[in-house]
Amino acid sequence: MITDDRWTERIRDPKAECMSRDERAALQGEKLRDLVKRVYGVVPFYTEKMKALGLEPGDIKGIEDIGKLPFTTKEDLRENYPFGFLAVPNEKIARVQGTSGTTGKLTVMAYTQKDVDVWGECVARCLTMAGLTAEDRIHVCYGYGLFTGGMGLDFGAQKLGAMAIPMSAGNTKRQLMCMEDFGATAFACTPSYAMHLAEAMAEAGVVDHMKIKAGVCGAEPWTVEMRKKIEEIMKINCFDIYGLCEITGPGVAMDCIHHEGLHVHADHFYPEVLDVSTHEPVGEGETGELVFTTLSKEAVPLIRYRTKDLTSINYETCKCGRTTPRISKFKGRTDDMKVIRGVNVFPTQVETALLGIGEVIPHYLLIIDRENNMDVLTVMVEVDEKFFSDEIRKLDALRNKIGSVLREALGLSVRVKLVEPKTIERSEGKAKRVIDNRNLV
Amino acid sequence: MKQISVFVENRPGSLMEVTSRLTEAEVNIRAVASFDTPEFGILRMVVDDPQKAKQELTRLGFVVRIYEVMGVELQDEKGNLNHMLSILADGQINVNYIYSFVIREQKAPVMVFSTDDMEKAKEILTKAGVKIVTDEEL
Ligand SMILES: [Zn+2]
Repeated sequence: MITDDRWTERIRDPKAECMSRDERAALQGEKLRDLVKRVYGVVPFYTEKMKALGLEPGDIKGIEDIGKLPFTTKEDLRENYPFGFLAVPNEKIARVQGTSGTTGKLTVMAYTQKDVDVWGECVARCLTMAGLTAEDRIHVCYGYGLFTGGMGLDFGAQKLGAMAIPMSAGNTKRQLMCMEDFGATAFACTPSYAMHLAEAMAEAGVVDHMKIKAGVCGAEPWTVEMRKKIEEIMKINCFDIYGLCEITGPGVAMDCIHHEGLHVHADHFYPEVLDVSTHEPVGEGETGELVFTTLSKEAVPLIRYRTKDLTSINYETCKCGRTTPRISKFKGRTDDMKVIRGVNVFPTQVETALLGIGEVIPHYLLIIDRENNMDVLTVMVEVDEKFFSDEIRKLDALRNKIGSVLREALGLSVRVKLVEPKTIERSEGKAKRVIDNRNLV
Repeated sequence: MKQISVFVENRPGSLMEVTSRLTEAEVNIRAVASFDTPEFGILRMVVDDPQKAKQELTRLGFVVRIYEVMGVELQDEKGNLNHMLSILADGQINVNYIYSFVIREQKAPVMVFSTDDMEKAKEILTKAGVKIVTDEEL
């Protein structure tokens, strides 16, 4: 593991990643004008939406006009499944990638060859941010297939000129064997799988046999504590890569060695952070919903796509030298957010707070009630073997500690109830996190 | 001597749930004590097969831990409990908790207690001529 003071920063495309804010705004404005022209009259969804708003392509003169444009949601994509959003003739499509989502219905996105090139280029910028070069061997244990993880990292490795090891997920023993035998110097996978690999590596006593120096992890939320733990076990540096299939796939953003937010490749993906209720831009550093406009995409360009991820944005130049805007680690999802006594509460906040208490996140459930016109938040926490103590006073102390940690994290007083394991209902393996009884009133 | 501790919520039937599961698994309960707060409690038991009890209850979704406790034989005479406690107090042994007697056919009753200093307790009790009971002797 290399500490940030001994790190040699490499920037793949200094022109794009380090341009001034004004230069970037001019480039984004030019690309937005072009984008609107490319969809208007071609993609029925945008044509109708713009007509309904009384907008013509000529009304969009620069990036500052983006607020005039309509939003796009996941539901809009589903209604136009599979190819209703296409902005190019069929013969221009080079490939499709998709995502299954939790509700079961597929979201499919098409790419022209240029789209694939831009995607690969963005991933290559990320890999460079992780200190990798053409010399490196990148072990990819994201799934290859419709899912964007495996292919995305592969395209990035190609652009970088590095060697890709296309493993896909599963069979940890074989993964470790190949990592060692092929001399992998980096890997890419979900953070939970990285944790699993780290533990398996430590258990097999092969950490020191590995040449791994970097891990590029994403596709699911993870905490800073988790990153540090993986880094410590494997003696490597880990980076948080972000992306979503609708926008392109992994590589939309990634954090650098300083881990102070994820650098968005804003010459291709224009980020906005909007107030959850008014949909107006929030101030710099304030939390809101992340919305992306794909400035370069040809096959399925999206305008103001609402990610439902909650974040804040920072436009200051980073210590690494990049001027690209940085989004903070996600603070939750708009659909999970609850307003309790006027305070915005996200289950992820509870999760982070609970992680600080034990090694693992216990199963928990937030229950919101209204008693005498007051919102009351109860957090049920399942007691597991790691938390359980034979002494009442220790259990009481645990409950009080959970209470104070949560009060600190949420800014709300919380009732904590310790419950037996498996009392909290799980549906399809995924635990339900919030029950809001106020809706019934 | 081994004791199993089970986390239970304080609601009607929660203790019975544990004991009936153990009965179904043909585990014999030798001694039982419960300690509760308004919301939850700990059920502590001495059973004839702690490993099996733990396995079975864990499978059924309970949190179970096995703890080492001390079992000592009490002479069947007046003031015996007091006498035992004074031996421990004189020896500076801190008793976390103490509970019921294990009733054994034709044999002297056993008092169960928990302490963080098992070795010292053992030494003091042995010196005082108190019989320490092992799992096998139950
Ligand atoms: Zn940076």
